[in-house]
Parts: sequence; C-alpha cells; structure tokens
Amino acid sequence: MHLYMNIRRRNDLDALQQDETYDAVIVGSGPSGAILALELCQAGKRVLMLEAATETGKGFDGYQSLLTRFYSRVGKDNQSPFPVNPNALMPRGSELRKLASGETNSDSYIVQSGPYVSDTVYTRAFGGTSMHWEAKTPRMLREDFKTRTTFAQGLDWPLSYEDIEPDYRRVEREMGVAGEVEDHDGLDLSFPPGYVFPMHGLPLSYLDQQVGKGIDGSSVVLDGQTYPIKVRPYPQARNGVPNDKYDGGEGFTPQGAVASYQIDQGGRCQGNTNCVPLCPVQAKYHSGKTLAKAFATGRLDLLSQAVASKVSIDGATGLVSEIEVKVYHDPDHSAHRTIKVKAKIFILAANAIETPRLLLASGLKSSSGLVGRNLMDHAYLLNWALLPEVAGTFRGTSCTGGIVDLRAGSFRRNQAAFAVDIHNDGWGWATGSPFSDLQQLVDQRNMFGAELQKGLVDRLSRQLLLAFMIEVMPNESNRITVDPSYTDALGNMRPVLSMTIPDYTMRGAAYARQFARTIFSRLGAQDCTAYDPGDYGLVPYHGENYAIRGGNHLAGTHVMGTAKNNSVVDRDQRSWDHSNLYLVGGGSMPTIGTANVTPTLAALAYRSARAILRQLDGQTTAPSGLS
Amino acid sequence: MVDDQRFQTFLELSEAITGFGRVRLLGTGQAELYFATAERVVGHAIMDELLTAFADLPTRTPELLRLHLFGNEMLGDVVRNLVKLWFGGVWYQLPAIWQQAYGPAAEDGTFIPSPDAYVEGLMWVAIGAHPAGAKAPGFASWAVAPQIPLS
Repeated sequence: MHLYMNIRRRNDLDALQQDETYDAVIVGSGPSGAILALELCQAGKRVLMLEAATETGKGFDGYQSLLTRFYSRVGKDNQSPFPVNPNALMPRGSELRKLASGETNSDSYIVQSGPYVSDTVYTRAFGGTSMHWEAKTPRMLREDFKTRTTFAQGLDWPLSYEDIEPDYRRVEREMGVAGEVEDHDGLDLSFPPGYVFPMHGLPLSYLDQQVGKGIDGSSVVLDGQTYPIKVRPYPQARNGVPNDKYDGGEGFTPQGAVASYQIDQGGRCQGNTNCVPLCPVQAKYHSGKTLAKAFATGRLDLLSQAVASKVSIDGATGLVSEIEVKVYHDPDHSAHRTIKVKAKIFILAANAIETPRLLLASGLKSSSGLVGRNLMDHAYLLNWALLPEVAGTFRGTSCTGGIVDLRAGSFRRNQAAFAVDIHNDGWGWATGSPFSDLQQLVDQRNMFGAELQKGLVDRLSRQLLLAFMIEVMPNESNRITVDPSYTDALGNMRPVLSMTIPDYTMRGAAYARQFARTIFSRLGAQDCTAYDPGDYGLVPYHGENYAIRGGNHLAGTHVMGTAKNNSVVDRDQRSWDHSNLYLVGGGSMPTIGTANVTPTLAALAYRSARAILRQLDGQTTAPSGLS
Repeated sequence: MVDDQRFQTFLELSEAITGFGRVRLLGTGQAELYFATAERVVGHAIMDELLTAFADLPTRTPELLRLHLFGNEMLGDVVRNLVKLWFGGVWYQLPAIWQQAYGPAAEDGTFIPSPDAYVEGLMWVAIGAHPAGAKAPGFASWAVAPQIPLS
C-alpha cells in the first residue's frame, strides 16, 4: 500500500504563539513522536509536532535526494545520506579521534573526554533515527525486566514483560514486522496462542546458511551451563511476504513508500543490502509511514526547522507552561526567531541524548537528580574472519540472521549477555570493506584485470563479520550533561557525554571474543580480527585490548521507576515533577538487555498515549506508581 | 566532444586493466566521464603518454602491462587509479610523491565523479553482488548461492 504524505505546516509564527488550542506538543518526529501523534490524533486530539531538522526526506523526491547524497559520499558512514545542518547538528563518526585520559574533543557535536570515546550516533532529520536504523525488532526478554531481582545487576523495571506484551504486538503491526514465532523457541519470552507476525520471516542469507551448517546443533558451556547454539533469523520491520493467518485470518497489507503522489515501491524488500544508512525503496519502516497517517487525520500540524531550546515551568503549579523554540529559515545561517508554543500536554521525544540535553539546558535536573544519568548504549565488539568457501557476502538485508542463545542465562549474575549479528555486508563496519580491500589489492598486491576480479571474490565473498551486541547496565556516572562553553550555531548547549564501559560488560566482551574464536574454529575460518591500538574506542581489559563500538541504542537518561526519588518518569513515561510533561523514548528504559531498543521504546509510546488520553479526558491527575 | 581515437584507446586500455569487455564498460555509462575525469586531474600530456605507452605495446599481456604501465614511475599510479575508478567508482588522491614529481595536479583529491559512478562500480559485478543501496537483485535472492562471473 502506498502512503500519501500531505503535511500540514504552521508557518504563521505570530498566530502560532497565540494558539492555545493544541492538546499536545511533541518534540521530535522519530518513532516515539510519530506513534504518539497518530494515537492522539486518531482519538480526536490536536497535536503540534516540532522537528529541529528540515523536512528533507518527508516525500519521495526528498527521500531520493538523500539516496543520491549517499551514492556521492566517499565515506559511506551511517550518517552519510544526511546533510550537515549547523543549526541542528548530529553526531558523526567521522568527527571522532582518539583521546588521552582527560583530553577533550569539542570539535565533534557531542563533546567527549578520553580515554574511552563513544561513536554512538542518532539522526536529526524528519523521521529521526528511524531513517537510518537497521530495523531489527527483537523483543526484550522476560528476565530483562527484572535484572536487579534476578541477577543483582542493573535496575528492575516498574513493568513486566506481560505488562508490555500487548504493546509489542501493536508495534509489530504499525512497523510491519516480518518474523516467525517459532524462531523464538527457547527464548525467555512468549506470545499469545495462535499469534503470528504480520509478515513471514525473511529467509536467512546464503552466508547465514553456511555459518549454520558449521555450528547448528553444537553447544557452548558457560558458568557450568550448556547452551545449544544455532543460527536463526531476526524479526525485522521490513516488508516481506504477508502472513494470511495474521489478525485472525484478516492478513496484512504492507506499507510501502511514502510520497505525495502515486508511487508503487517498497511493498517488499528487494535486497539492497543498505538498511543502514538508508533503504532505497522504503521497504524498511521509518516513522514517516506513521506520520503520513497522522497527517491524514487533519489534526497534526508540523513546525520544522524548529529547535526546542527551553522547557519553561510555572513556579506556582509546577506545570510546564510553554516550550521556547528557535525557528530558523536557512540551515546554513543562524538567523532565527524565538517563539513560544503552548499546549495542555508537552511530550519530549527527541531521543535519549537530546531529551535530557534539553531538560538540563532548561535547568530541569528532576527531584531525583537522574536526568542525563544512567546513559546506556549497547557495546559492540566486532570479530571478523574469512570462511573457507565463497559464501556470497554483500547480499541481503544488512543482517538476516544471528545467534541469540546467549541472551539469557544464570551467567548474567557475573557477566553481560549478548546477541550476535551475522553481517551480510561483510567486514564494512570493522575495516571499511569492500573499498579498503579494493585499494589493498590494487595498490599493494598489484592486481588488475581478471586476476583482480578473482582476487576480489577471494577477499570479499568469503567475509564473515560477527557483531556482538553486548549488554550495558545502568550506571549513574555514565551520563549526558551540558556546559555553556559548548554551544551550536543557534546558541543551544550541545551534549557532553561521559562514559566508561563497565567491567560487567567487559567480562561479556572478553567472553564474546572467545566465543567468536570458537565459532571460527568450528567453521574452519581464518580469524582476521585485529584491534588497532590507536582505535578511539579501545578498552584495555585483563591485558587485552578490545575496540568497543557504539550501538546507537540509546537509553536510560530519564529513567522510569516506582517513585519520585528513584526515577525521572513513572511507568507511563510521565514526569514525576511536572504532571503535564511526558518524556518518551529509550531514555525511560531502566535496562536494555540484548534487544535493539526501538521496538521497546515504541511499545512504551502506546502506553503513554493511553495515559495522555486519560489525562486529557480528565480521568487521572497524579503520576502512576506501582499501586 | 571526446576525441574519438584517444577515447577508443582509453577504452582498450580499460579492457586490459579491468578484465571486462567494452560492452560491459560502455554499459556503465561512465566511460567518457572516467576518461574526462582522469585527464582533468593528470592533464592532457600525461594522459597522452599513458595512451601512447599502451598503444605501443607489441602485445597486451599482463607481463608487458606490468613492465610498461603499472611499473612505470609516472604512469603506474595513474593506471592503478583507473583500475580503482572502474571497480569502485572512486578517484583516489594520487600519492604525494607523484604530485611532487609530476604535478601540480590541481584537481586531484579523493572523490566520486558522479552518483552513478558508485552505482556502476565493477567490483560488485565481479563478486556476483550489487552495490549496497542500488541494483537490488530482488526479494530472497540472498538465500541462494551467488553467481560469480569468473568462477
């Protein structure tokens, strides 16, 4: 199905400042903001959405311009399709360098000090980071919601798996998830009887199958427990073959490309191997698909090129009174006008770095003092090898399969769990393949002609990259702060990030390296893993060095909890301090387990939408604790 | 307009250094752009030397190509760059020592001459794949063994 995008814009800034008819203002157009906009508008509420970036990408032509930019960039990193906008900067890996302990790099958008440098990113664009996300959609496990009780690690959620399960199904419908329930066998989660995903799972790549041939049915022993391992598919928010058993036999209609005119594209994945940074055909879910439906209600208005810069509190009531917004005309010029917008409910959905950045820049640390703290992101450890036979690498979606048998287990008392991705795009993430290989074969190995063609097959088509997504637990000293010394072109304070990788995670990383060596041995693969001592993400641990990459799975910075003194928001993502303020997104998550965060933060958005509707309709006044 | 004789020689040179035939090379739609790009960077005179050196080869064997082109102090870096341009769609900045000896080449740098140059990179063809983000082979094609031209 094709989605029409007919945006309703507010350009009348004078009238907008006087407008007191909005039920809600939402800051950010990513998945959380989009789901909330759709749910509120469908319930008859009027919503104003603020987006810091331009609207490029909202329609078909703009989206194609991002793709052309990607083709043209020599450095094809995960932000390469998205133009630099000094008024709404975003982190980029290309800005980073190794830092000595205590040395600060303020040339990058996120200010960091050494020794560990995170290369985590998020996208400030229409659609937010859903423009570049990979769209793997694993649910969190039952035990991930109670790690403090079960493993004496991290924090317990004020919600259980059962509390959130119906909302996972709403997410799977909205995002169009392709997957199979039976591929979750043995994992600590459950589905209602008879449940199927909207679409059948995407088939494993030939590369996945070659790995599976070598390891399926084997096992590993950890902490005295035996864990059988196998390659299995990941559920993905990517259009495949609809399952006619879905929805009690109603079936499912995939949502293709968004455009302002008829365009039939994206109804099914074509195998572009480019989920990150941009699906060329929009077969991958992005929040524009949800926003198109929200605009169609006629009750959502958009103000783009509008950077929320201050949340103002009424001293008497403790309520948010307005949000100050800097509206700019041209991304390359800092000239802007500052306006104030009002609504009954204010929703910050700007991601787990930008939301706390805005709160802290507004002087709002919360009663608990936890705004900006407990910053989490998965720690990735990359391991790469050459398989003995050609495996057809560089085809498929970015990742179709992996090993998820070490996501759960009693070992989590001692060390972090992980999920393993098999990368269909080869060693790219680790070494810059295939371009780095081409340069090496031509410049150093002096290959050309037919010999080079064969050399490329030998070098590229056997590549296997195992990316270990390792759990990171909340830690109050891992945090986002602001500092008036570091500002952007509009004078907004930039985020300052302080992070160290905890020992709990590093024990998991050390085991991940050993696990990879075991897998490579079973496959007869040549282990080519080598961590550059000059790597900005280098972490020494027990005499070995590990290059830790960021996962762009940001969480924890406005943590959810049971009371005002142990958390920033309640289980509906409502601020304990300001009852008309909702902080939605990964920042509310007390733990991240070994699941990519988007399905879970999107599930929480549905929960918040219900709470906001109850509040707007006068059914609740106080934040919701555990009672 | 492209000087037809010089362009024809450039095409023959490209066949010899890529291992792909002229139909495949012309099918990229990039041949004239690559010729113009290389000439713009290294200059008309050096391009002439390269074309002449190639045209003067008694036979186009790998050994003679190595000896007279890839192993030539001036032409080697240029012809290697042409190989990388055809396979990857990227013109890589020439080595500093080349610039000192044979420059200045004011237009030099690392760049992609056109968005299509990336899409038409021949390395993807060589490995039976497709450029990431373009020329998708179709749903579920990834589940079967690759078809590799030279295997």
